[in-house]
Amino acid sequence: MKPHAPTLLELQHAIRQSLLGGVDGDASAFVINEGLDPGERLGIYRNAAAGVLVTALQLAFPAVQHVVGPEFFEGAARLFAAEAPPRSAWLDAYGADFPQFLAQLAQAASVPYLPDLARLEWKVNLVLHAADAEPLEIARLATLSEAELEDLRFEPHPAAQLLRCEFPADAIWHAVLERDDDAMAAIDLADGPVWLLIQRTHGDVHTVRLSEPEWRVATALFSGQPLGAALAAASCAEPHILLAAHLVRGCYVSFSLAHATIALKP
Amino acid sequence: MNASVLMPQDAPGRIPARAGIGLRFRHHQPVAEARPDVAWFEVHTENYMGGGTVPQYLDAIRRDYPISLHGVGLSLGSAEGLDAAHLGRLRHVIDRVEPGLISEHLSWSVSGGTYLADLLPLPLTEEALTIVCQHVDQVQAYLKRRILIENPSTYLRFWHSTIPEWEFLAHVAQRTGCGILCDVNNIYVSACNHGWDARTYLAALPPAAIGEIHLAGHSIREFGQGRTLRIDDHGSRVAPQVWALYREALDRFGPIPTLIEWDTNVPPLEVLMEEAAIAEAVLGEHRHEAACANAA
Repeated sequence: MKPHAPTLLELQHAIRQSLLGGVDGDASAFVINEGLDPGERLGIYRNAAAGVLVTALQLAFPAVQHVVGPEFFEGAARLFAAEAPPRSAWLDAYGADFPQFLAQLAQAASVPYLPDLARLEWKVNLVLHAADAEPLEIARLATLSEAELEDLRFEPHPAAQLLRCEFPADAIWHAVLERDDDAMAAIDLADGPVWLLIQRTHGDVHTVRLSEPEWRVATALFSGQPLGAALAAASCAEPHILLAAHLVRGCYVSFSLAHATIALKP
Repeated sequence: MNASVLMPQDAPGRIPARAGIGLRFRHHQPVAEARPDVAWFEVHTENYMGGGTVPQYLDAIRRDYPISLHGVGLSLGSAEGLDAAHLGRLRHVIDRVEPGLISEHLSWSVSGGTYLADLLPLPLTEEALTIVCQHVDQVQAYLKRRILIENPSTYLRFWHSTIPEWEFLAHVAQRTGCGILCDVNNIYVSACNHGWDARTYLAALPPAAIGEIHLAGHSIREFGQGRTLRIDDHGSRVAPQVWALYREALDRFGPIPTLIEWDTNVPPLEVLMEEAAIAEAVLGEHRHEAACANAA
């Protein structure tokens, strides 16, 4: 007997539940049973979709995959994909929550630095695919008065990210991707925490270790705090020297005073 | 609205009625450096939505080759409407790449705000036809351009479908003015899987709407007890039966831009160029016939 004809909305909800939950339920009832049963037919789509998402995560987290091995990685990626599927078809932007998922995965607890490595790879992925933009010309700041400088707010470059890691994740990342066993063996896991700036310049993504005071200034500026407050947060002897060194890194695109944007782009 | 009038006939980067190749990441560098003799390239739109080096390769390649954009993420068949953010990203890529053709699929992949990462089959009903046509109208109005809609490979059918897929596709083209991307491999795969007649399918498509043809390899998957399905995995050379069907398609449609697609275990460019050369030879015969017919 034929079941009732579902609306398109009902059908798509049923198939979504089947593909994500692995339970065919209503979806099977809507599919013609000929030769192969509906569950097998839906399974073709479920496996194909899982394969696409595993591949997307492999591309974003190559060092994590190398550390845990391809089989473990695929299992974890499939679990994650079922639990936290993407919100859009732009899969370069998929995987933001994978580091947190790994941090809670009991089977991965034997590799203490894994969540840090995953967080770093996610930042690298963000930076790799971030929009193109010209960095701010620092000379533009020269025209401002002391009082104006105090109130200055900076817009971070889209291809610049900050990350604090408990473990030396940058050294691990380099050693793993370069398959450099000697470098890996030389890493002291106690050599942390590290404060990292991850940025793309001329197409290449690289990580820079910041001093703790510079990291505090950068974090304050990235979060939109005015320059005066950011320098106070640095709590170091020569904040203006620190700032000069920080600004030449090219991790901002523009600055603004109060509500008026003074310099968006040259 | 017939959107085809919005597309200038000699737009820059127009796709010629020749054999093109699906450009994948591993081909970026060889193509950018060696400039091989390929008539045009097609890329997956979703792979070029960000910044950085990936779209920069395409910036360089498109200076020498016409580019076609082929999307997998618009989900034209979603009951819940189109994702405006994704549509915005598509337009951003179009503005940057200035493609000769833009195509999407007769399928859906988004439900409840979740992207299901595959081209899922639609029930072929009047309701689905209305929704797909509304979405194609919406996309063409937003982009101010005609798009092509590709027939999918499918592995299941729904009880309540009432319209044959070939009629459904022809209706979408007729109602919206969109073109059809006729995937000859998909017709063959679906015809085998569902017991359809591939020639009936081809005969139902309006020749004037055909803007592009896709060719790819497929595989046969065993499900035990002699049960098999053909799977559109784009992981091998075009099957002989599909080449035969391609000739029949060109007999009916005339010379049409034809793409060689390969997505699983992507081979070196040389292998794809061999496949393209076969398509080019078939296209050459049909160009010759078309010229003779015009002269007569």
